[in-house]
Amino acid sequence: MLRVRGLTVGYGGEPVIDGVDLDLEAGRFASLIGPSGSGKTSILRVVTSLVQPLHGSVELDVDGRDIGFLFQDDALLPWRTVRQNVTLGLRIRDVASGDADTQADDWLTRLGLEGFGDRYPGQLSGGQRKRVAIAQVLALSPKLLLMDEPFAALDAIVRTRITQDLLDWVEREQLTVLLVTHDLEEAISVSDEVHVLGQGPRATIRARHAIDIPRPRNVLKVRRHPDFGPLLQTLWDELAGEVTEEGIAT
Amino acid sequence: MTGETQRSGSRVSTAAGPKPGRTRAIRRALALLVLLAVWETLSRIGWLDPFYVPPPSSVGRVVVDLVATGQLWPHLGATATAAFAGLLVGLALGIGLGFAAALSPLVADLLEPVMILLNAIPRVILAPLFVIWLGIGLASKLALATILVTVLIFFAVYNGIKEVDRRLVERIQTLGGGRSVLVREVYVPSVTAWVMGNFKVAVGFAFTGAVVGEFVASSRGLGYLLQFAQSTYNAALTIALILIIMTFVLVLFAVAERLERRLLAWRYL
Repeated sequence: MLRVRGLTVGYGGEPVIDGVDLDLEAGRFASLIGPSGSGKTSILRVVTSLVQPLHGSVELDVDGRDIGFLFQDDALLPWRTVRQNVTLGLRIRDVASGDADTQADDWLTRLGLEGFGDRYPGQLSGGQRKRVAIAQVLALSPKLLLMDEPFAALDAIVRTRITQDLLDWVEREQLTVLLVTHDLEEAISVSDEVHVLGQGPRATIRARHAIDIPRPRNVLKVRRHPDFGPLLQTLWDELAGEVTEEGIAT
Repeated sequence: MTGETQRSGSRVSTAAGPKPGRTRAIRRALALLVLLAVWETLSRIGWLDPFYVPPPSSVGRVVVDLVATGQLWPHLGATATAAFAGLLVGLALGIGLGFAAALSPLVADLLEPVMILLNAIPRVILAPLFVIWLGIGLASKLALATILVTVLIFFAVYNGIKEVDRRLVERIQTLGGGRSVLVREVYVPSVTAWVMGNFKVAVGFAFTGAVVGEFVASSRGLGYLLQFAQSTYNAALTIALILIIMTFVLVLFAVAERLERRLLAWRYL
């Protein structure tokens, strides 16, 4: 589904990531973890063509329109209603207005926002806005879903609920997902594989770990799986080794 | 979705007693009445020279005369025509040029220095030049009102687009939208917010241009009447005209505010 080869990305001269290789097979859920400033987000931005790399290549088995990108911020249009925000991508794809509205309402209902279609984003809570952003992306039926710490700003309970809802959907539809996260427990809970990015600048992928915990998963109960603790310790040790005093200071 | 609170559109209101807005309005009206009463008294007892500071009752009589004799309307009509036309043309030019400069670096390179220069100078100094070029009729007033509004709106649009929320632009790009979608879904609504934020100032600028243009050289308009009142040392007429212009502009401000609330309804929820 996704093959990244020798990817080098830099801003204003020095590369942030240098020679990153990453493979993601169809139907797999991968997480990318690493210290702050290691360039995790840059990889997603190159895949979605928001940033041009200095070197390297990104090969995709899907069209650019089949990629869904869930940002850290919900990035909803404040002047459009919830329904208009959800239908935005559909309208860009020339879906008829009536059909788009029907699909939007269907998604809003699935995500627990029935009856919120005529409200504006400013009238919603952070969790509700995040659900609207999810509806906006999933309404396009993406084959590859990229997520950049999408739930980082939410409180623990809302975050757990939304993560579980999204995970259920991903497992049901067998979506291919690449998640960027700081949260090691989240990475293990949802992923089939975790890629560890080293400390930047010139960061590279330092390790790849398979998470062989059976699906479907419950994001809370999965933490009691016997493999969870050792995996968490391994990832913690690897990251702690990467985060130098200099890295923490920056 | 239990546990996720939402912000409702309702406002908290007090259970009893007068509303704060109403109390404030009553206080302001009372303050104005006291000021007028003091002014009237000081004029009547001779502490203020009525030649320079005529009492409010004299000013009121001049306003009533201007309205009752119908003398006001052609002048108000001339000023309003120049101001509204200048406002409309200035808005159109400012929005058009602002968009062009924001979306084309070449246009920005050509326009930005000119606009910065026009913004840096007090633009009313162009009034005599417009009179020489365009005569003492409507055209010179329209030109002055237009240039005042155009520069203001140009920067509102130009900066509005340049400083548009990058996250929204990237949102559109990752959803597959091109430049036309960006313009429709992000730039136009962003710019509408910026323009409406400056709309009241633009209304004031349009009237400034029209009145100053009439003041410099004209045969009709409130600016012409002001110039006449000044040249005849008629302080009552001068104050009356200033009050009429202020009232008219305040009414337009109220209309502009309503328009803003309608167009930017999402901001006032």
